Order: sequence, then structure tokens, then C-alpha cells
Amino acid sequence: MSNFTRTITDRINKFQGARATIFKNKRQRRILLIVLIGLMLVFPFLPFVSNYWLDVGFFVGIYVLLGLSLNIVLGEVGLFNLGQAGFYAIGAYTTGILYTQLNIPIVLLLPISAIVAGAVAYLTVSPIIHLKGDYLCIVTIGIGEIIRITANNNPFGLTNGPNGITGIGNPDFGLFSIRTSTQFFYYVWIIIALVIVALINLQKSRIGRAWNYIREDEIAAESNGIDVRHYKLLAFLIGTALAGVAGNIYGSKMMIISPDNFTFMESCLIFAIVLLGGLGSIPGNVLGAAIIVIFPEIFREFASYRMLFFGAALVVMMVFRPGGILPRRRSQAGFSGLGIANLPTDENQYIENIVAQGSVAQRTGAPSQAVHPESVPSGEKRRVLETQQVTINFGGLIAVNKFDLNVREGEITALIGPNGAGKTTLFNGITGIYPPTKGRIIFMDEDITALKPHKIIAKGIARTFQNIRLFPSLTCIENVMSSPHYHATAGPWESIVHTSRQRKEEHLILETAVYRLHQIGLWEYRNELAKNLPYGKQKLLEIARALASSPKLLILDEPSSGLNDKESEALIEFLLKLKTEGFPLLLIEHDMNVVMGTSDRITVMDMGSKIAEDVPSRIYNDPKVIEAYLGKEE
Amino acid sequence: MEMFAEQLINGLTIGSFYALVAIGYTMVYGVMKLINFAHGDLFTLGSYLGYTILVIGAGWATATFGVWGGVIVAVIGAMIGIGFAGLLLEKVAYAPVYKAGRLPLVVSALGASIFISNAIMAIWGPRYQAYPQASIPTGSLVLFGDVRITYVRLVTILVSLGLMALMYYIIEKTTFGSAVRASALDKDTATLMGIDFKKIIRFVFFVGPSLGALAGVFAGLNYSRIIFNLGQTYGLKAFTASILGGIGNIPGAMIGGLLLGLMEALFEGYVSGAWKNVFVFVILIVILIIRPTGLISEKIAEKV
Repeated sequence: MSNFTRTITDRINKFQGARATIFKNKRQRRILLIVLIGLMLVFPFLPFVSNYWLDVGFFVGIYVLLGLSLNIVLGEVGLFNLGQAGFYAIGAYTTGILYTQLNIPIVLLLPISAIVAGAVAYLTVSPIIHLKGDYLCIVTIGIGEIIRITANNNPFGLTNGPNGITGIGNPDFGLFSIRTSTQFFYYVWIIIALVIVALINLQKSRIGRAWNYIREDEIAAESNGIDVRHYKLLAFLIGTALAGVAGNIYGSKMMIISPDNFTFMESCLIFAIVLLGGLGSIPGNVLGAAIIVIFPEIFREFASYRMLFFGAALVVMMVFRPGGILPRRRSQAGFSGLGIANLPTDENQYIENIVAQGSVAQRTGAPSQAVHPESVPSGEKRRVLETQQVTINFGGLIAVNKFDLNVREGEITALIGPNGAGKTTLFNGITGIYPPTKGRIIFMDEDITALKPHKIIAKGIARTFQNIRLFPSLTCIENVMSSPHYHATAGPWESIVHTSRQRKEEHLILETAVYRLHQIGLWEYRNELAKNLPYGKQKLLEIARALASSPKLLILDEPSSGLNDKESEALIEFLLKLKTEGFPLLLIEHDMNVVMGTSDRITVMDMGSKIAEDVPSRIYNDPKVIEAYLGKEE
Repeated sequence: MEMFAEQLINGLTIGSFYALVAIGYTMVYGVMKLINFAHGDLFTLGSYLGYTILVIGAGWATATFGVWGGVIVAVIGAMIGIGFAGLLLEKVAYAPVYKAGRLPLVVSALGASIFISNAIMAIWGPRYQAYPQASIPTGSLVLFGDVRITYVRLVTILVSLGLMALMYYIIEKTTFGSAVRASALDKDTATLMGIDFKKIIRFVFFVGPSLGALAGVFAGLNYSRIIFNLGQTYGLKAFTASILGGIGNIPGAMIGGLLLGLMEALFEGYVSGAWKNVFVFVILIVILIIRPTGLISEKIAEKV
């Protein structure tokens, strides 16, 4: 029984076992949630709750908002941002200035503060969004400091310098205005509830997944159709807008704001909230904020020692729970964790339907029509991919030298050559990771030279990597769902409200992924994290991910490396099966069994140049090829 | 011209502090990929330790060897003390978290930073402390015309440059230095080649903080007033300097620090003091837009 034909039934048995525990967890979680919400509702009326504790509750709320705002950038996308207090300040100052100067109502200023904070972030961050980790981090610190110092220096007399702005009004909804501690407590937590619903919806949409793909592996994300720059900026935009909202609420409660409220230390605290709770975990965020605010309050009587304890507690927490208190656990949630509405409860039925219907591509008749390779002589077949005199230099090193590579319709083409010949570099040139120094790349009669990787996959070229580049902390199904991303179009608003069009798209993405995952024989691992798979299965998962983009050409970089004999035999079988589906394939391969067993045509590369191109039988005996591999006979 | 010369001296002085502190940031970053937020607070702690030594412990040295004798005792005492504090910090706050990845380490560093600055406040109080006038060497050297440089400043600059030269020699020219650099590039391979990584960590966490402590004591001698959160500003600037030079790169940190100090002083002298930090960060951002990995660093293409 091969990997690919294992019966469906034993997979189902396994699945039902898993679901029982999910159900239990889910029910417990729901009860807990209801209890917590109930507690929040009656909190102001509990006997021991004074205005003081209501205010503490309010400030927990403010930090929940700030934590959530940073969580989008830091938790979901993995970008270090230590300047969040700056954008919080922009929200507060927008509110303060516009209220005191123009008397615009506070409630109206709520969205305005969000927009201003988001816009400032967009403008300042977009020139530097490409910076790597710590370089981006210092720039965000810089932006935060620039904002604070600017407020401190009182430009145009707007910010009133170190004293800050006083006399900010309360939120006023026509007849009803928010003044007391109880009212503010409800006000902030109602906004939080709305924000959390929106963020959960966003998290469970193509946008949330795109963010996670970037966090896990930027290059793999880009190569699977995620416009990395766009989604990073989007995260900054939404995150900082939310910080702006927090600034507005804070200003309207305190009625006074000053630069001291928005120091670098404040950014550090927000950072700590996200990490304490667990990256990307919304419940964790709430808990993290509660700890950060309540902990120093409890130790209030120790006055100056409380921050000392707090610092020590942060260290201790990281020593014992480095992943945060409530980390987001994906694998346990299963398909229901994807948040796609109206999935059939019976996954058994689901997979059977999908397998019966065939791939989404087949149903919609999308990419390549089935071809009959044997009927047309190879030379006359249409060229799917053509590289024309492609040269790629690294400094003075010529890695690829005036290379012509042809991939024909319905054929499997192998690119072989000794280690270091430049094969992978050529692949990277084709897929846009290293733009060629010279030459052109033509795909389906279209010039695709130097397009960005996410555009290349949209044109129809999908790839795998020599050193596996999966999204390690995401489940297998989420991994495979990445490449159909570019087929969908739902933007942030649609993803937040889950419109019917958005839901349809999500279904299509899931179905495509499910089909490919099943096809490659990894269905039973669908809810397993990719990093937990053994090496050979990870390679297969990468192929499934590439296939799920419904490509017109599949590029595989050493698909059989690290596989045992049985696995590579199964791979050969699978590649030949793909060929009958109509996929042209281009592969780099060292395993001669795989090369000879699959390819219709072989191109040989040595020292960056092409030394031969022919059918396998003739390549096998070509003296130039033998020389390249074994050296010259003296 | 006089103003220019004076700002140059000011810039070199403050730049020396930034550079000395930046070396600590960049070394720790190099081997652990950690932004050691507590480093700026170790600098403050060094400054306070030097202060305490001058106030209560260095009397005999001052009596026997004069004012400079006291200063030398304070500097050496602070350097050794803070070196051990650095080792302790690594043992308590970083070693147990090291395996968990980079982000928990950063939070641990933030926690340690908050802890140290608040400990300083608890011990020495929340207000400014002044270095004792009697312990600060006086006198100055006439460079030309009306331009003078105080001996403290002169010594600050010379000692800092000397130590930087020494660090440069150790890191770039000795076998041990190449072990440090190798560990920074690839810890696992370096360990396989027989490099004792723990030893490298100990070196980095002793030498970095003690250089910071030296800067701390000299900052106290130069400006006389110190406060518990002094290290926040210096730390942030020094970290900026190390990024400017290309983080992980020790000569880069030195050049970045001096450059930052000079730019800041000249801007302060000719344009505006209140906006100098804005200027510094804008320059940083502009440089990073042009050179995304700092001034002195080779462009490393990620292997795909």
C-alpha cells in the first residue's frame, strides 16, 4: 500500500478520536468565556469594587487595546516594533489638539485619531519596511522617540510642550455622555469586545494567514503569492490605527495628556504584554495586559519597590513560560480553528466530496489543458518557459552565464549538473528571488523577467525549495492554503465582516488545499504542525503547497534529496501522474533514478553554462556530461 | 572656529561614551542575537558604583596618590564590579531563557532593565546625585587661542580611544578574537570547531559591561550629576550607534558611537538642542534607507 492510496477509512478513525477532545475543549472554553463576560458585566456592582478598582479595570482595558494593536504587528507578522507608544501618542494628541482648538466632539475624534495614527505610520514606515528584524526595531524606537520629542518641543504652539494638553472633554453620545468610572469601564470594554471580534475574524481569514506566513518564512511567503510588503504595511496600518483609538480613549478619560505618558518605557511595556500573553494569542493578550497593570497596583504599598518586583517577575515569567501564558495552539483546533463558516461537520464526507469532484482547477477548467505528449514530436511542442541568455552575477562571481533553458508543454524537463553549477541560482532567477543581471525570461509568451516572486506565482509558476522552506509553526493544511491565496481578492473589510463572497473564496481555498494534501498522501497529518513532520513528508508537503496554487508550471528543486528508496519511487510515480494531469515540470535532481525515470528532456549545467540539452538516453552517453561529473580522462 | 572646536571636543567626549557602551551592545548581539536592554542600566550602575567608591572608599587613594589616584581606583573598582554584575545578569536572566528563542530573551532583558534601574533607585534614591567636587580632577589644557580642554575630558577621550584600539586588536588580531567573531557568525559551527562558547559568553558579558562602567564613571566625572535612569538615554543612543555601524560589528560600534556623538554635538551647537535627538534618529533612518544593514557591514544575501 503506497502513501498515495492508503484507504480513507483509517484516516477517518483517527480523525474521530481527535474530534472528541476538541469538542470537550471547545465546550469548556465557551463556558469559561460566558463566565468571564458575565463577571465583566457585574464587576462594577460587586461589593468590594470601588472607583479605584474600576479605574484599574479601565486601564487594563487601555493596555488590552494597546497590546492587541501591537500584537498585529509583532504577534501576527513577527515585526519588532518598539515604538507603539508613539502612535498611541498620535491618537491622544490628535484628540487633544482637535478638541481643544476646534471643539470637535470626542466621539467623532475616535475614528479620526485612528486614521491619523494609521496614516502617520504608513508614511513613516513605508520607506523602511524592508529592513530586517533589529534594524526595523531601532527605526520604530526612533519614530516613537521623534514623536515624543516633537510633542515635548511644542511645534507651532500646538502641543503645549512638557506640560501637555489639558481640558480634553468626555465622550458624548448626544443625550448620553460618559463621565463616571463605571461608564468609562463599560465604554472601553465594549470597544474591546468589538475590536476582538473584528480581530478574530481577521486572524481567521486570508489576511491573517498571510501575516502568519510572513512571520514564519518571508521568502516562502513571497514565493507563494503573498505580497510581503503590502501585508506588512497593512499590519502596521491596522495596528497603529488601533493604538490611535486607545490614545483617544485614554485622553478623554484623563482629560490631560503629556509627553511623559508616551515614553520608550511605555512601548516596552506594550511589547511585554504581547510576549507575556503569547504571540498572536488574543486571550493571552488580555491576560498579559491585566498582569502588567494589576501587578504593580497590588504591590502599591511597597511604593518604590513595586517596579523592582515587576522587573524581576518579567524575568521569572520568561524563564518558566517563554512561550507566554496562553499561547495560540493551532493543531488542537483542527479545521474549526480555520474559522471558515459552514464546513460540513463530517470531515469524512467533506474529503470524499472533494476527491470525487477533482481539483478545483479541473472543475473550473482553469490552467493547463490535458496534453498528449506522445502525439507531438518534442521539437514542435510549445515552449512554456524559456530563459534567453540569462546571466546572474554576485559581485564578481558569474553564477549563471548566458543560459538558455527550455521547458516544453506536457514534458518533464530535468536540470542537472555538479554541485555549485548554478542550478538553484537559475531557479531563483526564474522565480524572481534574484533578478537576472542580464537576459530575459519568457513564460507563456510573456516577459516575466525580474517580476517579484509573488507576481511570478500568479503568472503560474510554483516552486519548491532545495532546503525545505515550510511555515514550521502552522498546520499542514494552513501551509497548503498559502498558495491559493492570490486567487482570492477579499480585502480587510470583507475579511473582518466575513461577507458571503469572502466565505466562498475561503471555501475554495480550503477545498484546493484539501484536495492537494489528500492527493499527496498527507491528509492524516492535516492538523499537525509542519515542523513535526519527518523530513520526507515535509518535502511532500512543500510539493502539495506548490500544487495548490494551480500552477501552469511546477519547478521542483531536488525533490528526492533525503528520501529513501521507497519514498523516491513513490515520488517518481507521483510526478508521472502529475504529468498526465497536464503539468509541465522542471526539476533539479541528483538522483539519476528519478531523472531517468521521469524526464523527457535533460539540460546539463556546469560552472553556470549549458553544456548539453537532449533526451535522457543521449545525455547519458554524452562525453561532455561525463567529463563535467567525473573529470577528464587523461 | 572656537565654537566648532568646542563642539568637536564635546562630540568626541559624548561619542566616546556612546562608543564604549555600544561595544557592549554589539558584542552581546553578536554572540547571542540579543538586544541587551539591561546594558544601559549596567552603565548607570557603573556610574553609581564609581560614585560610591569616590565618596566612601577612595579616600586613602586620594590621600596617597592625589585626585587621579582616587579616580583610577573608582574606575577600576567600577569596571570589575560591573563586569561581575554582567556575568550575574547573564546567569540569572539570559542563560535559562536562551533556548526558548529570541523574543522571550528580549522580554527578559526588558525585565532585567526595569529591575536594575529600580534597584538603583531603591539604593541611591530617586534624585540626582552629584559626584563629590573634591574627587573630580580640575585644570585644563590650552589647545590654541581660547580653546581649552579640561584634563578630565582629555583623559576621557584618550582612555576611550586607547581601549577601543585595544578591543580592536583583541577582536581582529588575536586567536581569541577570531573565536569571538566565529561564534558571532555561526555559533554551532564554532562550537563544533572546538570553541568554548560558554567562555566566549563570559568574556562578552564581562568586558562589555565593564567598558560600560568605565563610560559611566567618566560620564559622572564630566557632567558630575547622575540619576537612576541615566542609562535609558545613553543606552538608546549607544544601541542606535551600534545599529548605525552595523550591529554585531565591533569596529562599526566604535565608529558609529563617535559619529553619533559628533553629529549630535554639532547639531546642538549650530541648530538646536531641543531637536538634537530628532535629528539623530532622522539621520539613522536615512542611513538605514540607503544602507539597510548599517555603515560598516557586508551585504549578506540570504541563502535560498
